Amino acid sequence: MTSPRQRATVEFILDHLVWFMLAVVLIAFSIFVPNFFQIGIFANIIEASTFVGVMAIGLAIVIIAGHMDLSVESVAALSAMITGILFCSHGIGIGLTLTPEWLVVPVSLLISLAVGAVIGWLNGFFVIKLKMNAFIVTLASYIWVRGLVVAISGGRSAQDLDPDLRFIGIQQVLYIPLMAWIAILCFVVFSFIMSRTPFGRHITLIGGNAVAAFRAGIKVDRLMFISFILAGAIAGLAGWLLAIRTSGATANLGTGMLFNAFAAVVIGGVSLKGGVGKLPGVYAGVLLLSSIHTAINLMGLPAHYTQVILGLLVLAAVLLDTLKLQIRQRFA
Amino acid sequence: MSFPTLLELDDIRMNFGAIEALKGVSFKVGRGEVVALLGDNGAGKSTLVKIISGGLRASAGRMVFDGEERFFPTPAEAKAQGIETVYQDLSLCTNVDVVGNFFMGREIVKKWLGFIPVLQEKEMEEVVAQALQNAGTRIPSLRTNVEHLSGGQRQAIELNRFAHWGGKLVLLDEPFAALGVEQTRRGLDLIKRIAAQGIGVIIITHIMQQAFQVADRIVVIRQGRAVGDVPTRETSPDQVVGMITGEALAGQAQETRPNGPPPN
Repeated sequence: MTSPRQRATVEFILDHLVWFMLAVVLIAFSIFVPNFFQIGIFANIIEASTFVGVMAIGLAIVIIAGHMDLSVESVAALSAMITGILFCSHGIGIGLTLTPEWLVVPVSLLISLAVGAVIGWLNGFFVIKLKMNAFIVTLASYIWVRGLVVAISGGRSAQDLDPDLRFIGIQQVLYIPLMAWIAILCFVVFSFIMSRTPFGRHITLIGGNAVAAFRAGIKVDRLMFISFILAGAIAGLAGWLLAIRTSGATANLGTGMLFNAFAAVVIGGVSLKGGVGKLPGVYAGVLLLSSIHTAINLMGLPAHYTQVILGLLVLAAVLLDTLKLQIRQRFA
Repeated sequence: MSFPTLLELDDIRMNFGAIEALKGVSFKVGRGEVVALLGDNGAGKSTLVKIISGGLRASAGRMVFDGEERFFPTPAEAKAQGIETVYQDLSLCTNVDVVGNFFMGREIVKKWLGFIPVLQEKEMEEVVAQALQNAGTRIPSLRTNVEHLSGGQRQAIELNRFAHWGGKLVLLDEPFAALGVEQTRRGLDLIKRIAAQGIGVIIITHIMQQAFQVADRIVVIRQGRAVGDVPTRETSPDQVVGMITGEALAGQAQETRPNGPPPN
């Protein structure tokens, strides 16, 4: 038998495991990797977490609701490309200008969000109204939306983004780039929504047992639809940030981010079965991944190893999930 | 004991094509009364329960619930009026804590800045603690996820939730099928306490002993007819077995048909 207090401690550690892992990894790297322990490196880790981090929020919400969205990476690429085409002055950019000039920020942001929301709406439509499998529907979107990016760009790129937009990509606050702050703000806002509002509670309930939620009068279909639209819009935001960061867009922008986002979500403690997971954990997962990336770079290992390590990390995360379950059962 | 009538079934018939599943069933359930519905497999118990809870539409007959004559077109409608079938596990989200489950779909919120709805966890926890205490149910921590709770505790949460949100008639289909001896005993106690709050309870069971422990009245269905409707005090397990199998004592059953026990 274990006392309630012991059990509470174990539960706490298991619930926040990814944070402990992050702390251990950061301390280990600081001791063993030369030049790791500098404020610039930490700022860099946070900055590198921006795009995958934002994308992972939407992905995590859909997974917590018990579904899947593989399209987030392509959606981000599409909204980046549209932002690029509209507001870049070189390459395939048409160099749209607005008066007053600062208006470009809200307008481009709204367009990006809208593009994402439309794709998210389509995903939701196929999954909820036509009862198709979310994995297949969003896999299809992953493919066709990326295809659309290549098609509208003709494989070429847009360069030289409107300086009023680029401004966001250059600013720093407290050593950390403004864009990273935007990602952190997103995590704070959506963590709040998921843990403290009825919307978040209902999404979690649906992910746990959609039948029970439905029986209790929760509008399951409507909320599922909203979560898909939300995931799309958030991916659109990630794309907007990407376009600003790279001052334009290329047809292959963001390739491979989906798997990083996925890895972060799983490492962050979100169960693919749905209903389990917290957004702060996902952010810790993203930070953990980019810490490892950074360490590999600093150690001068060939970049190709990153992917091997990443794969192993995802495996480890899933293994950990299974172990956690066993530990919980022992203490329950 | 006398219970004001909550549900009255009058000559309920149900045909599935040429098959007559129910051939005119009549009985009453009072507020705060526990009625055990007994009968062999295929006697028509499940069909009857589905008709009461809106899952099936009766071919003929009359149902009066809460003073109004009506059948419910859907389970959702029945639920909205206070009739619910409580299934083990089907109505709980095991990934969420006790409070979250208790308030599922009816969370207490406060608007921040006039438009951001925020869950009031403390308030909800107090309400749940009070409700469980009133019902005499003990659960170690209301913040434990339901997956860590036993089958009996889950059932207690469901029944208390039902009672708390204004349920009037609860249908329990083999509620103790998956429970151990001690849990079953507590479950039976719980049913009595739920009934004591003025809720009508219909419990379907195969286990005679359970029916005699908890029910105020026993209704026996046999081949689509209510062949017995007797106060538990005035009958014996042997008599009830006789009614279920249709062997003897038909006279006793005849006496009390078709409209429940003699006037109190």
